[in-house]
Amino acid sequence: MDFDFSEEQYLLRDTVRDLLRRECTPKHIRALYDDPGGRSPERWRKLAELGVVGLTVPEEYGGSGMNEVDLVLLLEEAGRSLLPEPLLEHTAVAAPLLAHAGSEAQRREWLPRLSSGEATASIGLASSPFVADATADLVVLERDGELHALTQDRLTLTPLRSWDGTRRLFEVTAAETGDDTRLAGGREPAHWAFDHAAAATATVLVGVAAALLDQTVAYVQQREQFGRRIGAFQAVQHKLAETLLLVESARSAVYYAAYALANELPDAPIAVSVAKAYASDAERRANYEALQLHGGIGFTWEHDLHLWLKRGKALEIAYGDADWHRRRIADWVYATAN
Amino acid sequence: MNVVVCIKQVPDPNSVGQLDPSTHTLRREGVEVVLDPGDEYGIEAGLQLVETHGGEVTVVSMAPEKGLDAIRKALAMGAAKGVLITDPALAGADALTTAKVLAAAIKRQPFDLVITATESTDGYTGTVPQMLGALLGVPSVTFAKHLDGDGQKLTVQRQTESGYDVIAATLPAVLSVTAGVNEPRYPSLKGIMAAKSKPVDKLALGDLGLETPKPGQTITSVQPAEERKAGEIVEDDGEGAKRIVGFLEAQKVI
Repeated sequence: MDFDFSEEQYLLRDTVRDLLRRECTPKHIRALYDDPGGRSPERWRKLAELGVVGLTVPEEYGGSGMNEVDLVLLLEEAGRSLLPEPLLEHTAVAAPLLAHAGSEAQRREWLPRLSSGEATASIGLASSPFVADATADLVVLERDGELHALTQDRLTLTPLRSWDGTRRLFEVTAAETGDDTRLAGGREPAHWAFDHAAAATATVLVGVAAALLDQTVAYVQQREQFGRRIGAFQAVQHKLAETLLLVESARSAVYYAAYALANELPDAPIAVSVAKAYASDAERRANYEALQLHGGIGFTWEHDLHLWLKRGKALEIAYGDADWHRRRIADWVYATAN
Repeated sequence: MNVVVCIKQVPDPNSVGQLDPSTHTLRREGVEVVLDPGDEYGIEAGLQLVETHGGEVTVVSMAPEKGLDAIRKALAMGAAKGVLITDPALAGADALTTAKVLAAAIKRQPFDLVITATESTDGYTGTVPQMLGALLGVPSVTFAKHLDGDGQKLTVQRQTESGYDVIAATLPAVLSVTAGVNEPRYPSLKGIMAAKSKPVDKLALGDLGLETPKPGQTITSVQPAEERKAGEIVEDDGEGAKRIVGFLEAQKVI
């Protein structure tokens, strides 16, 4: 059995990488730190034209009807380039969630616009005290275990500070929810959304960690100290080799989590927790070693490294940190053993 | 109109190229290879022409089997079909051999316009477009930074050191385009899925009626580029601006 990605999946990955390499550089990210909206509608439009924004929307609603496995390589690229736009909240979670549990009226009203990029959607789960990208046209919000799809006229947003200047966080309260806003299926959609958000976050983290590692490997081959390039020291090589091992393991774990979600395997929630635990740990290690090996310069505002350090730190704890997910696995093991 | 675009797969220009120490040619195995970014402008120019005037774009590439990926990308951007000439005898082919092979493949079908980049982003000989014009017996119009065409004739602005020439040519012709000519599109998801079912002809030298080429040119040795010399330091004694302007004029920058 061939578990490799298809030629088409790689070509789409390369296309997105190409676009982001040109249009999502540290210079672009820095500009958004100071921008009130913190998002580039132009870049989002280009991603929508490629079919990336509507990738997970069913074809009957104007999307491409593709799944978690098709998206996984693109989320990794989003992490690598620190894409500020909500590919995670919108494309990995909110849009397919509406297709999964929305009423026919909700789907008809929203999915075509979410697919074309004309409207955006985000997700707010009870496990998090804030909602990222809550200024989206539609926010799917958890209330008493159930999910409600809410437009801005029903929401009150209070901006919060994030240490990552491109992550826009808000405290959100809903004025009223009702049968017309509720997603079907009781508590199931909230679990579905959490697992998709955790898996997607783990994937973005792998991209962030890989980018941190690449930059650090390049730096130690250039920076000289004690009369030689610091990458020539075995102690430095060990740090990087151990980080690479973690990043590669995490990558395998997030690919499997995507596969398990796409095929609705019974172990999908466990695969998600394995992925998020591994990815959070791998990224934390990459984050730490990158900062250590860059030395003082890595700590400065002028060097670009902090852009990745901050995004990584923010996502390490989003949708459950490594400890939380290990506890979830432990609970599952305990429950199945008894 | 039938537009043929010649494309090449090259080692990723974002990585540092490596030479094979025995042949002095660029290493293509075990390195990341991509469609030459310079070729994307040619593909885009071809697509824009056929979108306005009808017809289709065919991409032609001489490459190892892996070159199919570059053709697939061009097909995903919107080209209708591809031709891949792949033959072990062509490894390390020089510019003239490349031009002969491409010309033979292009001649197999009627064409109105052949588009190339001005040079490849790995070999940088910059001679294949003109050779193609000669071998195909059609005019070659080079360094286009802007073009208008209508199936009968072609008018281009040809980039020069100091500005541009306006050149008109009748079709068929060979045209090389610069990176300023357009903004290449990205292949969309739809385009990528459609590319799967587009035809690609795979040809060997024999299929083109060509014999194993004798190398007209071999690389005998390679020297590292000279270190940059220290620049001239201008002490500003009130004449500094004038001297800088004089320098820039001499370099034809202004």
